[in-house]
Amino acid sequence: MKIKEWLSRLPLWLYGCMLLPLLAFGLSKQDASYFSFSDIPRIWTDEAMKDWELPNSNPEYSAQPVSEEFYYNLPERVIYKTYPVYHPDHEPEGYWEWLHEQEAEIVLDESKLLTEEDYIKAGELLFDYPIDTLGAVISTKHVRNIDFYTATEMPLTPEGIMPFAQWVVAGKGKVYLGNLSCAMCHTRVMDDGSLLKGAQGNWPGDKAFAFALETDGASERAIQNITSFLFASPFAEGDPHGKLLAAGKEAILEAYRAVPEGAFGRQGTSILFPPQAPNLIGVKDRKYLDHGGLGQHRNIEDMMRYISMNQALDFLNFYGDYNPIGLTKERLNSGEPIFFPGTYDRHSDAQLYALAKYIYSLSPPKNPNKPSELSESGKIIFAEQGCVTCHTPPLFTNNKLTPTDGFEVPDAHYDKYDIFGISVGTDPGYTMKTRRGTGYYKVPSLLGLWYRGPFLHDASLANLEDLFDSARLKDDYVPTAFKPHDVKTKAVKGHEFGMELNEMDKKALIAYLLTL
Amino acid sequence: MDIGYLDIVVAPWGSLRKCCVRRENFNYLSGKIDFRSRLLILTLIFFLIVPFLLSAQSFKPENPIQFKIKNAGITVDGLISDWEVMVDFDPKKLTQSSIRGKANPESIQTGIKLRDKHLHGREYFHIEKFSFISLESKSFRSKGKNAFIGIFELQIRGVKREIEIPFTLSQTGKQQMFKGEFTIDRLDYGLGEKSLVLSDEVRVVVEF
Ligand code: HEC
Ligand code: HEC
Repeated sequence: MKIKEWLSRLPLWLYGCMLLPLLAFGLSKQDASYFSFSDIPRIWTDEAMKDWELPNSNPEYSAQPVSEEFYYNLPERVIYKTYPVYHPDHEPEGYWEWLHEQEAEIVLDESKLLTEEDYIKAGELLFDYPIDTLGAVISTKHVRNIDFYTATEMPLTPEGIMPFAQWVVAGKGKVYLGNLSCAMCHTRVMDDGSLLKGAQGNWPGDKAFAFALETDGASERAIQNITSFLFASPFAEGDPHGKLLAAGKEAILEAYRAVPEGAFGRQGTSILFPPQAPNLIGVKDRKYLDHGGLGQHRNIEDMMRYISMNQALDFLNFYGDYNPIGLTKERLNSGEPIFFPGTYDRHSDAQLYALAKYIYSLSPPKNPNKPSELSESGKIIFAEQGCVTCHTPPLFTNNKLTPTDGFEVPDAHYDKYDIFGISVGTDPGYTMKTRRGTGYYKVPSLLGLWYRGPFLHDASLANLEDLFDSARLKDDYVPTAFKPHDVKTKAVKGHEFGMELNEMDKKALIAYLLTL
Repeated sequence: MDIGYLDIVVAPWGSLRKCCVRRENFNYLSGKIDFRSRLLILTLIFFLIVPFLLSAQSFKPENPIQFKIKNAGITVDGLISDWEVMVDFDPKKLTQSSIRGKANPESIQTGIKLRDKHLHGREYFHIEKFSFISLESKSFRSKGKNAFIGIFELQIRGVKREIEIPFTLSQTGKQQMFKGEFTIDRLDYGLGEKSLVLSDEVRVVVEF
């Protein structure tokens, strides 16, 4: 589909929204201010981008990113001051009016960043900064509607703040709802209401998106289009996303609603095989990023590349001749800007550096589960059951990639990547049928299990107990977290470790896991 | 008996055939093979081979090969149950004695099926490419009553290394019982890689 064609098919509301950033910000800062800190690496070089990502499980369709030239021609993002979003019942008196009287305030001046601490602080600011004011997921009218909170069971802080989106003030009276800050998907409201930045997020994002599409009265065509931009992978065997689109509006909305808190259909993944939102605390030590290990993580540059690619330049990737938002290569390189969320500007290298430094600096909260006699016996079981081989202390991962069922590891991968050549037998959907799929699942770190969930790459299990419950292997099982929208029951296959233990040993094992 | 194992049994034939060929060549040079030398060769073959076959039959021992390795402080016990040995051992004729063994790594068992499968894979035994483990004696020396030290060539994953194995022999009548224990460094043979939790040393016990 040509860009003009799909633009013309979009509903007016979305089309109108696309102009908003221009109105709001003018065009982003055009001239790159050169950075004094000579250590900031230039990350998007044609050379580096060539083999940074793993190939797709279907290698002909491996992602081809935009060129270095294209990338560095994008304007850099300007970071305005943001303000918290309250549940309407909790909004302080006069807040909304007050917001509209504020002037735009640019809060990040890269030339002032000198020390490591400066960068980390700037990184936190960026972490909370939305890269979209187009309404990429939700917009003003949704968060000002009480029904939105009940329909999505939105977690709130004790002050009634909805921490997953922010108000961006881009000029007096220009108050926009900001989407797609890192905080949107990587912040967790804990049981006690406190916020844990970087933890497995519990933003019910796909439910929120379904609410937005529905209450806006989006047409079937519009819903199909946006869902296709996000997830279509027509080259995947059986084209499951094509089938979902063909099933029509209600089925698609159901599929969005089926994705639980703690998972999110990020672009290039799937709502049919949604990825668990990863815990970013401890990410510094992981060698592969994404559940399929798509992005290598050998150094800070790789992390910067990952952030840039996923916010959201992967919409511009070509997979074979296929581009998710319907671009042709000629259109992409025509020099005309592309008005799609996240693709018309970019973070500067210094901003990416700051973001990476910040997420590297995240540290876990104090674990209330102290080692006990029970957990100590669990520790021995953990070793006896061979968990240690894959979940190797101290990181509790051996940082390797396991091939999924049906994926034949190419010989060359053994030399290039860290392969643990055996499938644990979990659902192959995400890694075989999405744009981000590599044919692998990485061995996840077990650190911080106590403050997160649901578990497994597709967030199918709500509790650790479920992981060791052999009932889940049967077809009549009702998955305790993610369950596909079109089935009543589904076996949660694979990872059959520790299942034959007796109840007491399972308790001990779990007690141990909760101390990590 | 699997085909791989034939190598060992056939090995003596191999060397004999070479010897025969040389003789033929010799005869060719000297004119032709006369009846007497033919008879001589046949007799030689008979006397060389038949006793060898009688004394050095291969057999499948009852006890599996056992090994132990420390993983995260816990000792993992493993077995390799499919193996064969061929023994021609006379404590009084150590220089003529030999012990050969051949094991099938596919029969490895560690109590966790998926782990066994992983051990078959290319990071460990890589059985698709290396279908057997072999142990072949090079020399023996005595180390007191019924105790010996053998120098063996151990081959795993195509890597051959000489190792020293102390072993004991207990003999009741014609029945010989051997027991040897030794330690190898798995990394010498490319079995897995350096690991924080899995020790490099593997203790192996062989009894037959
Ligand atoms: C709309 C939701 C969303 C936003 C916004 C978002 N992420 Fe993520 N992030 C995800 C999801 C979902 C995954 C898992 C993707 C997968 O495995 O396919 C992920 C994965 C990651 C990973 C890989 C972690 C790992 O262990 O594999 C990193 C690092 C990361 N995000 C950092 C960031 C940063 C930094 C930002 C902001 C610049 C950000 N993300 C914005 C949802 C989001
Ligand atoms: C062969 C390697 C291997 C072994 C052995 C292994 N695991 Fe895992 N484990 C994995 C992989 C791979 C995943 C991710 C699977 C997926 O999500 O599809 C995983 C996932 C998990 C998770 C979910 C983590 C999360 O963030 O969702 C837990 C908990 C876990 N394993 C615990 C254990 C325990 C306890 C044992 C021993 C009884 C064990 N594992 C043995 C490879 C292994």
